[in-house]
Amino acid sequence: MSAISELSSISRRKGKLSAEEKKANGRDNKAAYIFLLPWLVGLVAITIGPMIMSLYLSFTDYNLLQPPEWVGLDNFTRMLTDARLHNSLGVTFTYVLVGVPLQLAVALLIALVLDKGLRGLPFYRSVFYLPSLLGGSVAVAILWKQIFGTTGLVNQVLAMFGIQGPGWISDPSTALGSIILLHVWTFGAPMIIFLAGLRQIPVMYYEAAKVDGATTLQQFWRITMPMLSPILFFNLVLQIIGSFQSFTQAFIVSGGNGGPSDSTMFFTLYLYQKGFGQFDMGYASAMAWFLLVIIGVFTAINFIASKYWVFYDD
Amino acid sequence: MPLFPRSASAAKQSAETPSRGAARRIRKTGVVAAAAAVVMALSACGGGAAPQNADGTVELRFSWWGGDKRAQLTQEAIKQFEAENPNIKIKPEFGDWSGYWDKLATQVAANDAPDIIQMDEKYITEYSSRGALLDLSKYEIDTSKLDEAALNAGKSEDGLTGIAAGINAATILANPAVFEAAGVPLPDDSKWTWDDFERIASEITEKSPKGTYGAAAYGTDEASLGVWLRQNGRSLYTSDGKLGFEPSDIAEWWAFLKQLSENKAVPTASEVVEAEAAPLDQSGLATGKNGMAFWWSNQAPALEKASGSDLKILRFPTKTGSSADAGLWYKASQFWSASSRTKHPEETAKFINFLANNVKAGETLLADRGVYPNSEVRAAIESKLTPADVKVVKFIDQIKDELGEAPAPPPKGAGSIQEIIKRYTSEVLFERLSTEEAGKKAHDEMKSAISS
Repeated sequence: MSAISELSSISRRKGKLSAEEKKANGRDNKAAYIFLLPWLVGLVAITIGPMIMSLYLSFTDYNLLQPPEWVGLDNFTRMLTDARLHNSLGVTFTYVLVGVPLQLAVALLIALVLDKGLRGLPFYRSVFYLPSLLGGSVAVAILWKQIFGTTGLVNQVLAMFGIQGPGWISDPSTALGSIILLHVWTFGAPMIIFLAGLRQIPVMYYEAAKVDGATTLQQFWRITMPMLSPILFFNLVLQIIGSFQSFTQAFIVSGGNGGPSDSTMFFTLYLYQKGFGQFDMGYASAMAWFLLVIIGVFTAINFIASKYWVFYDD
Repeated sequence: MPLFPRSASAAKQSAETPSRGAARRIRKTGVVAAAAAVVMALSACGGGAAPQNADGTVELRFSWWGGDKRAQLTQEAIKQFEAENPNIKIKPEFGDWSGYWDKLATQVAANDAPDIIQMDEKYITEYSSRGALLDLSKYEIDTSKLDEAALNAGKSEDGLTGIAAGINAATILANPAVFEAAGVPLPDDSKWTWDDFERIASEITEKSPKGTYGAAAYGTDEASLGVWLRQNGRSLYTSDGKLGFEPSDIAEWWAFLKQLSENKAVPTASEVVEAEAAPLDQSGLATGKNGMAFWWSNQAPALEKASGSDLKILRFPTKTGSSADAGLWYKASQFWSASSRTKHPEETAKFINFLANNVKAGETLLADRGVYPNSEVRAAIESKLTPADVKVVKFIDQIKDELGEAPAPPPKGAGSIQEIIKRYTSEVLFERLSTEEAGKKAHDEMKSAISS
């Protein structure tokens, strides 16, 4: 979070500055921009540029092989009647609305346990963080496919207890659940952030609470949660944005087709299929912008709602 | 989720330096900035520049789909071509069928298409009607020895955009080892019916260990649908580029599949879905889990290698019990096509000419891409064929007089049909849709896929 603390300390100094301070700031800024340059070039060349291009393409009929043709709002009106798109929205919303809270709850729980001053904390921290590094990867998605296959590890264990498990990832009723589980498993990143947040809560609050006879549960709800709420908010925003865009797991687990029966057809996967599988890049671009709007709206709601539950103590 | 590791590792640092009470708080501004950055990181596509070759020699890129065996053979053929043409270098790019088309579409869009492209009939109209493929008739490629029907399959109003690499037919491959283990005799494919197919397959399942099934399910591509429709007097496509069947026809096809599934002639719905994603080497037939499966004839040698047993090539069953009504046809297994934007069309044509007409190429590639359309090469390599290849050639020969009319070429958009069939097959097998509903919906979707 150092970059963010940096930002906040910059914003905190917004008050009156002497001429000398301003000059020093200018020098600092120049250095900062030079350090920023590689990122800035990348941002303009491989993010902003293509984004503008895709905005243009979203108003065209573009089959990849021939020049795009302007069609106005056609792509957007087509989305209104595209049943598979509506289904993909349902799948994506389910994934976000179930997966994110679950993942954050697990992350917080593990962080609370680790915060209790466990011996060998760095080891556990690394072990729990590991899935986050691997979770988005192709290798793990393939592994997941094996574990949750009809004759995979999960069903072999169930068979020992005489239970005949379904084909977790090949049955339309459980496939999405398996992918949500994969997402929950990658709780390491928010866990680390929670852990950092927990360590910043002054011990004296707990000491005072203990003196007053507060139970552990009361301490959690009255001290930990309010003090941790900015961190929780931060995690929530990041995870929601990230989850809306998740693609790899569904792509690999379903073999690229969002199956079975479109039950894991994420919005991004459908977008990819339309653009690269069906030569409909104009429509795919329009979908990308629609997703941007959805994420924007969710993030805005998040910020508005945060006024009512996020507590900043300084 | 590219930003997670970064923000998290930064978080780790601050967690390691104990700062309890230091009151370094995340401020709203920080969150806003981070959120904005993540939002902006959304959906970016990279572009790539075409690599340039070195002085003197010409470098051509050649892409194909296929398994390990094909990769070995093709690279061997490339070496022979390079030995004969030291100033041309061929750079191979190969992969599985599933990723091949996404990659090709992207490459073509980025103006970075491979010079030589292995093409399929499902996509050739898509690419050639949009000007992405070179008209090979304008270059020096000898077509005089090629089988006429195979040659015509690569012709359209856009010229000769593909040279057939091989001749193929839809088949059912049987693994005699599975039949033997179950004590079920192999069928006589000259007079078996679909009822026989069902009976034999369920019997194998019954008498085999758990997890082994008499037959793989059909319904994962359009070949088996094409055969079924032809046997019922319909066709997949009409010559004017429309669907050649009614919703009820495809509903009947699914109804029979459902019946097969209920009688355990084919694997469970979940297993069918899992099998779809498996590459050839891990398919049910290759791993000995299926007694019979639906494949193209040229895939038999590769499957035989993967399964390690002596496979038998069977004709499709019929309704009447006479193989004359099987409705099979010769398909161009794949085409050699060239990008219309290749910088070296002469050299590209030279390589395609080598693949299609050179005996050395034939001796290397043998029957991996189907039976050679060039009659001279076919005769010259006869003695070199492996026993598996011989079986394929024999089968193709055997059905010569039973073939139905050549089917109409797949229209533009036909590349999406397989995905639609697969999806509704699983809807039917998981009983989420009735066969009639699936038939109607699939028909609608296919219609709009090929009309746009």
